[in-house]
Amino acid sequence: MEGLGRAAWRSAWRRQFFLQGCWNYEGMQNVGFAYSILPALREFYRDRPEDLTKALKRHLEYFNTQPSMAGVILGAALRLEERTAAGEADPREIGTFKVGLMGSLGAIGDAYFWGALRPMASVAGAILALVHPFLGIAALLLLYNVSHLSIRRKGFAAGIAGEESAVQFLKGAGFAGKTADRKIVAAILGGAYAGAAASKAAFLFGNGTAPAFLFVAALTVHLLTVLFRKAVSPSEILLFLLMIGALLLWQ
Amino acid sequence: MGFQFLLAVVIGAIAYLDRTAAFQVMLHRPLVVATAMGAVFGNVYAGAQVGAIMELLYLARLPVGASIPPDDTGAAMFGGAAAAVAASSVGLSAGSFAAVLLLSVPCAELGKAADRLVRRVNGRIAALTAESVERGDFRSVEHGLLAGVTLFALSGAVLSLAFTGAGVAVGKLLLPRFGPASRNLFAALLPVLPLLGAASVFSCTRTDRTAPAFYLTMGMVFAATFFYRWVG
Repeated sequence: MEGLGRAAWRSAWRRQFFLQGCWNYEGMQNVGFAYSILPALREFYRDRPEDLTKALKRHLEYFNTQPSMAGVILGAALRLEERTAAGEADPREIGTFKVGLMGSLGAIGDAYFWGALRPMASVAGAILALVHPFLGIAALLLLYNVSHLSIRRKGFAAGIAGEESAVQFLKGAGFAGKTADRKIVAAILGGAYAGAAASKAAFLFGNGTAPAFLFVAALTVHLLTVLFRKAVSPSEILLFLLMIGALLLWQ
Repeated sequence: MGFQFLLAVVIGAIAYLDRTAAFQVMLHRPLVVATAMGAVFGNVYAGAQVGAIMELLYLARLPVGASIPPDDTGAAMFGGAAAAVAASSVGLSAGSFAAVLLLSVPCAELGKAADRLVRRVNGRIAALTAESVERGDFRSVEHGLLAGVTLFALSGAVLSLAFTGAGVAVGKLLLPRFGPASRNLFAALLPVLPLLGAASVFSCTRTDRTAPAFYLTMGMVFAATFFYRWVG
């Protein structure tokens, strides 16, 4: 960006990692967003404290999106603020742009990061931890963060290049395909994990009934999945098991 | 023991920061945290075993919007410490292992309640920040964020101390009180726990395409590993 010094640009990039530092129910990530954009605003509105106040108030309004995707909006908001400070854009555009994008970015990011990438990295880590703990941890951190940090960096750069570039980034990044691919890998790894666990139980509790064990294990997984879909928490199921354990002890 | 708790508190504060307030680079995941607690309390492998199962147990609950999932970081702090201490007191048998995993649930729910409280206090900090900006105090945004981050870190440090303390107490005092026969009763529940983890993964990733992949892989791996065990 021509108008923005390299230090302020870097500062905004670093500060996005604290987007949820003051997460609250009313404004959600509002303080974090204002904190991230503050160094740039100080440069844009140098010697114009009233305009700086107005700009900061704009960014202290409600804001919530998937934190790893926020770089796109932050970058584009920086560009819009630069144009607003130069008198080339209407300040209302910034709010409209942020509100318009945060919902869709949140939905895309939640599906990709929480629904596909994290389960894939977690199950890969859990399986490899059986070989060696540090191998499992390395797999978990690498599988998640290579994609996570790359999306943050590319998204921020696309946002800085302008609103149209940000929208193009979202269209061109192929999140739908990436989400589907990672879900398949996670499902395959999850199936392998379930198969290995069921086979261990079958071997311990009876050789002659292996097919029955596989059937019971698959049915258990299916029933638990149905319970999760009906908003039953894993904690509730674990507490139920704990109560069964306590009853067994009591008897 | 004092130094071990101090180390646990520092690691816990960093992990809790990573969970919500800063970075989100997955340092807060149960596999990482439980292994670290295992290392702190003298048995890395025991901590990693607990962490590997806990990693998957709570995946079904996503941190979407204002919803707060159970605190699997806190559960892992408890589980890692309890498993490492139990390994050197009564040994980490299948029964002790299942008991540690199940007893971690109250920690997950307590941590969730604490997280909700911190976010409510943050609401007041955010309101004060907005008022200060209105008066022209721009640095209040930085101070507000610092206050929020500090609150998350402090809450994490206190929870870490409480959960690792509880874990050490369970491993050292509670589990040895039960005889091997009682502990073996808990072992009967152990096969369900990895399946619960697998169901959590499947629940997150379930689509028309992934369901056949999951069940086919499950069947194939079951057959292959069962045959390998049977022959070997």
